[in-house]
Amino acid sequence: MNILIAARLAFSRILATKTRSGLTMLGIIIGVMSLIALVSVAQGATSGIQDQFKGLGARNLNITGTTSTSLTIDDAREIEKEPGIEIVSETVSGRATLSSNQASTRAQIVGVDSDYKSVVDPDIFVGSFLPDVETASDARLIVLSTTLATDLELDAFSIGSTIAVGSTEFTIVGILDDADGFGTRGTAYIPLETAFKYVAVPPYLSSITVQTINEEIVPEVTANLTALLKARHNITGEREADFVITDASQLLDAIGTVQQFLSLLLGGIASISLVVGGIGIMNIMLVSVRERTREIGIRRAIGAQQSQILTQFLIEAIVLSLVGGIIGVIIGEIVAYFLAQLGEWNFVLSPSMILASLGFSMFVGVVFGVWPARTASKLKPVEALRFE
Amino acid sequence: MSTVVEMLNVTKTFGEGSSIVKALDGVDIRIEKGEFVAIVGASGSGKSTMMNLIGCLDRPTTGLVKVAGEDLSNLNDKKLTSLRNYAIGFVFQSFFLLPKTDALDNVATPLFYRGVPAKEARKKAMEMLSKLGMADRYTHQSTELSGGQQQRVAIARALVTQPSLILADEPTGALDSTTGKQVMDLFENLNREGITIVLITHDLEIAKRAKRRITLKDGKIINDERGAA
Repeated sequence: MNILIAARLAFSRILATKTRSGLTMLGIIIGVMSLIALVSVAQGATSGIQDQFKGLGARNLNITGTTSTSLTIDDAREIEKEPGIEIVSETVSGRATLSSNQASTRAQIVGVDSDYKSVVDPDIFVGSFLPDVETASDARLIVLSTTLATDLELDAFSIGSTIAVGSTEFTIVGILDDADGFGTRGTAYIPLETAFKYVAVPPYLSSITVQTINEEIVPEVTANLTALLKARHNITGEREADFVITDASQLLDAIGTVQQFLSLLLGGIASISLVVGGIGIMNIMLVSVRERTREIGIRRAIGAQQSQILTQFLIEAIVLSLVGGIIGVIIGEIVAYFLAQLGEWNFVLSPSMILASLGFSMFVGVVFGVWPARTASKLKPVEALRFE
Repeated sequence: MSTVVEMLNVTKTFGEGSSIVKALDGVDIRIEKGEFVAIVGASGSGKSTMMNLIGCLDRPTTGLVKVAGEDLSNLNDKKLTSLRNYAIGFVFQSFFLLPKTDALDNVATPLFYRGVPAKEARKKAMEMLSKLGMADRYTHQSTELSGGQQQRVAIARALVTQPSLILADEPTGALDSTTGKQVMDLFENLNREGITIVLITHDLEIAKRAKRRITLKDGKIINDERGAA
């Protein structure tokens, strides 16, 4: 029998028994819906983090010393002369005790130069980042992370007031939004020169951030800088370098792995419900085969081969699961959209995910449709015709 | 004349051991092309078993059954199914139209199963519906048709494959007497056109319309008479 006719027959049956078909499909609908929604959560949530890193800059390279005396201001000056480099930003860090009128805490103090802001683009919660003109000077200005501000029992109205770094008074100019950055938690920022005065020893730097002119030359620049610094630090042969150069791609790779793992985990959980949905289809199909024994008898009498009966019922199972899958995809994407709004990540419609879900629900239809369809095809025509 | 159905010393038993039931016990018949035969008998006489054998729905326990020249015992399920499709046009007491399917596709279905392309199958089905005066009802489903109309659609379905014989099982049993008479008139006309008809019935009045009556009792043929009764 023509597969198109069998498919049309399956559709007309589904329409004729709407309630039952709906209930049968419910398992698949819920399964596919949760598959789509959960995987999109996994991808949306992590792509949010990925976007932040891209914001940090796929063009950025970060050079850190393995000891506190590895990198120097002179290294930074030399790096600036290399080709393909747009900005070089120097930072130092040290630890100090911060005290407000209410509380005090130990914190990481990072001294940054005036280029830092354009390379890292920190998110300000309230106030502003260190002003350009004064970052290079030794002004006693400080920017706190939200976490630090909270630890020090300061609120948004503390901008302009002073806190002590060690025993020196600093004026708070801004508070950073911790949620939107990485490694800023528990950190305070002060101008580079100021840091050299109070928390660090010149000419040593803790890190140098380099922004290249474009993403493509990042590996090339990495190689150049490695060679340059090795030469400057007299590192030859097998000796291990006293600095590490990292770029965003390594972090992005790591996040990609987390994303894959999350997608697999959540997708796996959702797949279980899809399988349960398949069992639902199998149940109803078995009932349906019993109810339609007479019809099967008639079909067999007028010349339907066993294989044709099998095909008919298999197609019904597939149509049920596929229609369920399509409804599930639509609801799932709607749910994913609202979850994305709620979680403030980008809603991404993934065609491959949709195709995979539909393919999987079709597969479930085949697997769980085979038994009922075989049962139907094996009915003896004489007995099936007599069936009341 | 060619032989459409041939039975030689056919037995059919059901069950086993002490509960064994002989539904047919040494039956011999030949039905030639163009005949109009009624197989008559009370309930339990073996006429249903007879119908199942002639209809290629079952095989005999012993003996030879040949339908359209094919020995049923030699056929596997697939070939038996093909034989039903090509040789037999079934007409049932309760019409047995396919549910959720319109009259046109009901008639076309045996051709679908044969592999005839849908368009051509529907064209032939439409011709057959017209012949039986049901052309204007081709979009109707069985639930939208009267008993007589349903039986006409069923007869169209039986005829559309141009079978060796029409096998009708109590075709008037579910109809009122007027409609029943119309269906019998239809069978008579079809037989006049040369179509072989085998009628299974317990109703002697209906059987009288056939040209030959075979009477069964306890699985044996007790009477085989020809000519108008």
